[in-house]
Amino acid sequence: MTLSRIGATTLAQMRMMFRRRIVLFWSLVFPIILMALLGLLFGRSIDAGTITVIDASHTPASTAMVHALSTTKGVTVKTDQTDVAHARKQVQDGDRDALVVLTKTPAGATAAHLYYSNASATQAGIIRGIVSGASSRISVAATGSPPAIVYSQQSVDSSSLSYIDFLLPGILALAIMISAVIGLSTVLVTWRKQGVLRRLKLTPMPLWEFLVARVAASLTLALLQVAVLITFGALVFGVSISPTAWAAIPVALVGALCFLVMGFTVGSLVAEPETADAVTNVITNPMMFLSGTFYPVAAMPAFVQTIAKVLPLYYMTNALRDTIVRDRGLMYVMPDIGVLLAVTAVLAIVSLRTFRWE
Amino acid sequence: MVAIQVDSLTKRYGEHVAVDGISFQVEQGEAFGILGPNGAGKTTTLEMIEGLRKPDSGQVHVLGRPVWPDPRSVQSLIGVQLQSTTLFDRLTSRELLELFACFYNRSDGSERAQLVLEQVGLVGKADAYADDMSGGQQQRLAIALALVHDPDVVFLDEPTTGLDPQARRNLWDVIRAIHADAGKTVVLTTHYLEEAETLCDRVAIMDESRVIALDTPAGLIASLGAEVRISYTEGGEEQVAYAHDAQGAVLETLEAARQRGAQIEGLSVRGPSLEDVFLKLTGREFRE
Ligand SMILES: Nc1ncnc2c1ncn2[C@@H]1O[C@H](COP(=O)(O)OP(=O)(O)OP(=O)(O)O)[C@@H](O)[C@H]1O
Ligand SMILES: [Mg+2]
Repeated sequence: MTLSRIGATTLAQMRMMFRRRIVLFWSLVFPIILMALLGLLFGRSIDAGTITVIDASHTPASTAMVHALSTTKGVTVKTDQTDVAHARKQVQDGDRDALVVLTKTPAGATAAHLYYSNASATQAGIIRGIVSGASSRISVAATGSPPAIVYSQQSVDSSSLSYIDFLLPGILALAIMISAVIGLSTVLVTWRKQGVLRRLKLTPMPLWEFLVARVAASLTLALLQVAVLITFGALVFGVSISPTAWAAIPVALVGALCFLVMGFTVGSLVAEPETADAVTNVITNPMMFLSGTFYPVAAMPAFVQTIAKVLPLYYMTNALRDTIVRDRGLMYVMPDIGVLLAVTAVLAIVSLRTFRWE
Repeated sequence: MVAIQVDSLTKRYGEHVAVDGISFQVEQGEAFGILGPNGAGKTTTLEMIEGLRKPDSGQVHVLGRPVWPDPRSVQSLIGVQLQSTTLFDRLTSRELLELFACFYNRSDGSERAQLVLEQVGLVGKADAYADDMSGGQQQRLAIALALVHDPDVVFLDEPTTGLDPQARRNLWDVIRAIHADAGKTVVLTTHYLEEAETLCDRVAIMDESRVIALDTPAGLIASLGAEVRISYTEGGEEQVAYAHDAQGAVLETLEAARQRGAQIEGLSVRGPSLEDVFLKLTGREFRE
């Protein structure tokens, strides 16, 4: 009986939630717009374009080089040419963005020669970086000498990801956080203020059941956000989704739960809907900029990194990024999930102590 | 049989005594009105009976069961329309009614929803959202929600406040039907004297936290000991007098005025109403 009641209440909560266009806008449409805008502004520069590779040496090093280039994000490698002069002409005409010719030196080593067009200085810079990076990486691996200074930047989070790949999980985490916090804080305060909770108190249904139904509806929204944003990212923005992406589901659920409880805490402490909105903003805005949503935390000043490590969004963003685009499974992100659960527990204790129905 | 038994019920808000030791009984099947000006303590009284506000002292029994300390067992037997409830947005009338039926663990939710929609005359708005409906329609919906689990006792807190006269009269028909046709005990509060008079079997007049009179509307009016009420304006001041014999009293009034050489205007003669009862009991007009 109670189970069917929770089911019916959850359905009603979902109706209330999904029938409000503004909710759908902020939880699903806005994140996509944000991703498109940021992707357009900053994503392009990552794209190196199409490079012709002519391998005339066929050494292990040259094969490694071709492989390295083809697996670089933003680079499309074509090996359809054999005539260097013709391939050079293609670059000059702008049909291809660059040409790499691999030849064997008299000493038996492999030489990589890059032809690039100067039509776009930025793009040329990126191509030079990619090709010289790849060749020195291979020579380092071959000779066993210590890594060159160039690679010190490798420690930067996003260096191996294209910006849009980096961005997708960050925006997903952000969208889930905002929907969840608002989904319980403002709503709870409004219900209390309008006397909805009082009216429900007159029915035999325990009020906690009503809140559980709301949480269930909000978790459904979080799952929908995961599905929609990942699908959109993959199909429209060309994000390469890792096979481990399914592990984003438990991460998203735990993260959403954490932020729902945070919203519940705000709703417990605050009396006016406007105050709830303001407090929500004060909590979510700094998290949005300090948790590595748009920019890698590792590239930020040390004190910011310290701050980030106390923000739950940081852990959710990391875990979503690891699972969705970094090919890391559930086990790898268990510590992040643990942190989120711990924060949830602490907030739950605080909010249950301060909660009032009227 | 007694539906509601209230004994020496008292509620304080800090220093202010909102309800001051009131007692009354409501019989089963009765339509009982609590009439009083703003702040008289009507809502506070009702909500103590409904189990929403805890009394400081005194007892309430509904259908033989004590409401306090645990109101839950009584609450499933009563239906309540609160003075102000904004209901959820983005749920239709029908969905809302079915949801509430489900809260009461009823498996016949859709039949009940249809039935009460018919009862309150809201079938045409069954698929409209509450926030898209007029004030009168929202009030009907609130009453429908109070009826959906087929309770024995229904509480309506100012069901017609804020409605235009036409909508108010329509709602009166609905309330009469709940009482007369469905045979439910109805307790309502109002500041409309006419409403109390026309809808209620008995009326408790509340003023300044106390019940100052309780009887049938006819009985209350009879307690004035007068058949007619004569009023007129003299020198800009309204004068009111009560009398047994209309013709004699009018002649007397006019004669007295002629002798004083006074000019009186707006002479009116009518039967007394609950307004006069209030005036007599408190020395104040019902509306300040
Ligand atoms: N929660 C509260 N806290 C403090 N005082 C209250 C509270 N609720 C009511 N009061 C006071 O108690 C008195 C009675 O209020 P109540 O709401 O019962 O009056 P009412 O007869 O229903 O008035 P109205 O016709 O305006 O609805 C008023 O003076 C009011 O200010
Ligand atoms: Mg009131």
